[in-house]
Amino acid sequence: MEEDQTVSVSKGVFVFKNGIKAGSKKSKSKKKVGTSLHLLSENPWYKSYETLWTSLEEQIDGLNSEMFSSVLGSLVDFVGESYRFDVDEVPTAALLTGINMPDHKAQFTSLAKQLKDNVTEHVACLYAQDCQNIKYLVDNLINQFVNEDRCDSDEDDMEVVDKPQRIKKSLFSLQLLQGWYEELYLTETPKVEIKKEKCKNKKKVLVVIIPDFEAFNPEVLQRFILIAYSYINVLPIVIVLGIATSLSTLHTSLPYHVSSKVSVQVFHSKPSTEYLNKVLEDVFFTLDCPFQLGGKVFNLFVDIFLFYDFSVSGFIQNIKYAMLEHFSYGNAMSLCSESKKEIKQLIKKFKHEDCENTRRLLSFRKLVESESYENRIKLLTDDDYFKIVLEEEVFKLRKYIRRLHIFLKALWILVCDLPKAPLGKHLREIYSVGTSQSITKSQEYKECFQLLNFQSKEELCRKIERVIMNVGSIVNVSYNKPNKLQEFVINLKAYLNDMDVENNEEVDVEILTDVTNNMEEPEISGQMDRKQLKEKLLGMSKQTSKQMNRYEQIRQSLLNYLSETFEIYLTKPSSMYFHEICFFNDISIRTHIIGEHRAAIHSALNNPHHYLQCNCCDFPETAIRSCMPDISIAYKLHLECGKLINLYDWLQAFVSIIDPYDDDEDDAKRIIHPELQARFTQAVQELEFLGFIKSSKRKADHVTRTTWGG
Amino acid sequence: MARRFQTTVRRRVTSAYSVHGSELSPNLKHVKLYTNECFPCRSNEIDQLLNLFKSKEEPYPCSVYVYGGPSTGKSSIIKHVLKNLKINYVMINIIECYTSKNLYEIILNKFSGLHVYPLNGQPYTKCENLMEFTYQLKKISSIINLNGSVLVIDKVDELRDMDLNLLNALLKLKELTGISLCVVFVSEILFEKYVSRSNVCEPIKIYFPQYTKEQLLEIMKKDYNQAQHLIVNNFQKPIHFDLTFYHNYLNVFLSVFFRACKDLAELKHMSKVNFIKYCDPINQNENTINDSVTLWRNMAPLLKSSLETLYLRVLIKNSAKSVEIQSKEFLFSKEKLAQSLELPYYAKFLLIAAYLASYNPVKDDKRLFMKFHEKSKKSIKDVKLKSKVSEHYNTQLGPKMFSFDRLLAIFYAILDKKVGFNNNLLVQVSSLVELQFLITISDNCSLDGQKYKCNINFEFVNTISKMLGFNIRKYLSDFSHM
Repeated sequence: MEEDQTVSVSKGVFVFKNGIKAGSKKSKSKKKVGTSLHLLSENPWYKSYETLWTSLEEQIDGLNSEMFSSVLGSLVDFVGESYRFDVDEVPTAALLTGINMPDHKAQFTSLAKQLKDNVTEHVACLYAQDCQNIKYLVDNLINQFVNEDRCDSDEDDMEVVDKPQRIKKSLFSLQLLQGWYEELYLTETPKVEIKKEKCKNKKKVLVVIIPDFEAFNPEVLQRFILIAYSYINVLPIVIVLGIATSLSTLHTSLPYHVSSKVSVQVFHSKPSTEYLNKVLEDVFFTLDCPFQLGGKVFNLFVDIFLFYDFSVSGFIQNIKYAMLEHFSYGNAMSLCSESKKEIKQLIKKFKHEDCENTRRLLSFRKLVESESYENRIKLLTDDDYFKIVLEEEVFKLRKYIRRLHIFLKALWILVCDLPKAPLGKHLREIYSVGTSQSITKSQEYKECFQLLNFQSKEELCRKIERVIMNVGSIVNVSYNKPNKLQEFVINLKAYLNDMDVENNEEVDVEILTDVTNNMEEPEISGQMDRKQLKEKLLGMSKQTSKQMNRYEQIRQSLLNYLSETFEIYLTKPSSMYFHEICFFNDISIRTHIIGEHRAAIHSALNNPHHYLQCNCCDFPETAIRSCMPDISIAYKLHLECGKLINLYDWLQAFVSIIDPYDDDEDDAKRIIHPELQARFTQAVQELEFLGFIKSSKRKADHVTRTTWGG
Repeated sequence: MARRFQTTVRRRVTSAYSVHGSELSPNLKHVKLYTNECFPCRSNEIDQLLNLFKSKEEPYPCSVYVYGGPSTGKSSIIKHVLKNLKINYVMINIIECYTSKNLYEIILNKFSGLHVYPLNGQPYTKCENLMEFTYQLKKISSIINLNGSVLVIDKVDELRDMDLNLLNALLKLKELTGISLCVVFVSEILFEKYVSRSNVCEPIKIYFPQYTKEQLLEIMKKDYNQAQHLIVNNFQKPIHFDLTFYHNYLNVFLSVFFRACKDLAELKHMSKVNFIKYCDPINQNENTINDSVTLWRNMAPLLKSSLETLYLRVLIKNSAKSVEIQSKEFLFSKEKLAQSLELPYYAKFLLIAAYLASYNPVKDDKRLFMKFHEKSKKSIKDVKLKSKVSEHYNTQLGPKMFSFDRLLAIFYAILDKKVGFNNNLLVQVSSLVELQFLITISDNCSLDGQKYKCNINFEFVNTISKMLGFNIRKYLSDFSHM
């Protein structure tokens, strides 16, 4: 409300109508949100963040629907076909989803959407928390079928005014559902036909989706299935169960008289690790994604995924958080953008502060140090010169990322199926090595190349062909002038050709070896004692090992060539100047990503300055001062104790810290101020509440510590 | 008066055995024949029912209690008889009546023949309690004469969990309403199982016994036409077979299945599934129709394996888009289950820790999990206890409950790596509970000191620990002394 409305000469109470007030409030709050976003969106870094994130999100969404499309497609088909013939049981689809719950929500909503679009508009989704007993379940179900349909039709034809909005909950029963369904599909009066054209079609099935089967009370579910079965001739109900663990849970939770009432069809969805790999490979490891995670952070995220939760959506949220953290560094990060044009424009627009922001990047120092003296000063002071250098370096960085990905993928193709897979089976594993160190210098890399040296010709050829295909497809699309990449492809092709030629020549070589064998044979057959024979054989085997056949020679030189190229391109990111712009490698976000409440409480109590930021407590952690909060003092004292703590001793120590001036000789006799005792009691209570101590039954006036270590 | 009535009725039921339709009216005769034809091997029970309801002049009994095992034809015979005798009847299934209010309303709606209109849910008889119910019934009866109607209530077993007075009231519905209304209860359990203190007036009981093997054979032979359709639908090349061939098949089929299952519906389903398999060798020209011995040899193992999937109607769609019942290996092998289960790494360890906590006594924790523990002195008693037969194995007794703290302590003890104690870890515990691998024992109200039980068996945990390269036997007190 505006101030001037209430300005009046006399004192008085002004009445404003409720509606107006609420409206103004709403608009105000909206405005506030708008302005705060507006404030951020001024900044170039925010703009580039937003464009990047929206494009990534779109890609992920597309990938999502693509990933689930096959399973969902067959599921939708199943639902559509389910009542084509007469059925004796309730048709049921069991979708084995894997254990991660949060990821499934998207899956089931997209399933519901697809079903609504393709098969039937009657889809109800029941969650365990809404269905504590059968009454709630049925109410919920009928509400979703009957009332939601109503809402939809209300939107369609607003002119039908006399239609009541919603059916009261007290009226819900299966009879009502039956009546509703029969009215929809069985009445042949023309009135209905006009009102709803879709009704003319055949009867539509009622789909009930239960996403979290395990969480459901089995009795409720049993009852529901029996009810559905008893209505099987009237209401075509199809049940879709989302099962997180395995099919046997279905059998353990349904007794036989129930399980014989459903005919279950099983659908498997893809495991979440596969999903993660797909997301990474198709969205984040692409050539045009400028934002890259550094090795440490990437490993952290992957670890969280593999060790803790298997949640892809969680993984994506983590990356989003990392991106926010990354971009909020300042305008320097706005250069982390997709198009070259934009980068050029952005650099042109850079103000002095922005340049300073960029100069504060760590790798800038390296750049300065590598330059000559005059250039150093120029770099540090002359913004225009700095901009030119910056642009150059950023483009170099882009090129580097591009090639990093291309060659990492090539390397992955070569090594992914080696025995024991020293560099890992998945692209993400190679990526994490490649971004945290120079992969060519790692032990695993060397092992891999040793193993490659033993590869048979067919396998190697197949791999090289795949590499050529992979790299070639990128090269042909984007570049026309011959460059290093094309050269790489051409060279590989040459090697392949060599091998093919060698294939033809092989016959000759074999004949040649045959001849030599023939020549040597009589020597062996001549009379020798055992020792001589042994020596002879040993010598022969040595000879053959020295003589490499042609294939082996080619393989050797091919591997050498590959290794050389990899060494050029697969350097670690931190060797690049301004790598911070595209690589986010700040491990300190760990504490934000993984909540560690115990550690947080410990640091709060052990070092209150960390959170309070007060002036008085700024000193090393070990000391105990009287200015600290009571609970913190009590906590620090209790850390020094053993398993059992004598309350009286503890109180003494507590008092001596808070009130140190009282320097009596006989400590024991000292009268303790009631206020201090009260403070102490409160602190102890708080510690007990936090779970650090509990009262001991063994000894009077003692408490037991419950935690160890710090 | 009621007593006398009951006795007369009882006489009527018993007389059913002696009177064999000699004095029946032609209509009744027809109904009897027709019903017997539709439901073979049930002539006794049909006679009993017909005797109760045969003439409209005589009053029907107050209540009839029909009981017998699942799918012995109770509901369908009653329905058939009542329908053919042209008696006004209403059939309800208690399974959908989760409250008594619901039950009353359904009965009233059905008796008044009202359709619920979804637009406003009206006209709708509202009925909250028994008083109202009787009143409404009377009201309906004044419009539509309900005298001589029958109310059939299916799955009465559920009544035991509902209001106490409900069964009594329904048994005496005639007395309460003053309408000559007969209530037929259909149940799978004995009437004596309805424990009730008050003096119940006993209904007339009709027992439907289980079918014998011969009876089943006879009934299932009636599906001959259906089986022919099945063959036509499933094979490109039609196979012509006669009734004896089908009879042979059923004989073979029942010889395996009869011992495991007497449920007619389930048997019918299984026979349908297996008949295709039975005919498959003929379809592929490996056997002739007459070669029943070879067919039997082919079939025996298949039947045995499909015996495992009895009552589990599971189809698995494989990539080739062909639908088939999966072998038992897929469904039941614990190893496959554990392998196919995806769990995060630490969640697996938590599960193992939970298993260890559940199946190890607390006193052994120190010995098992601490690196430097003092050697426990083995008393003779201990040794004796251990050398005793495996009855004393903890792993063979049920899981014991354990506290959350103990779970975490064991988790950290068995894990080599140092793992931060963080929230993601704690969330795993609750997600394990949600997946029913762990069961919460204490109620949800106490946030502190939650207690759990582990809900997995040894094979399962063994496969998981093998996958992790973890030797679980070393940490189980049952095995550690070996």
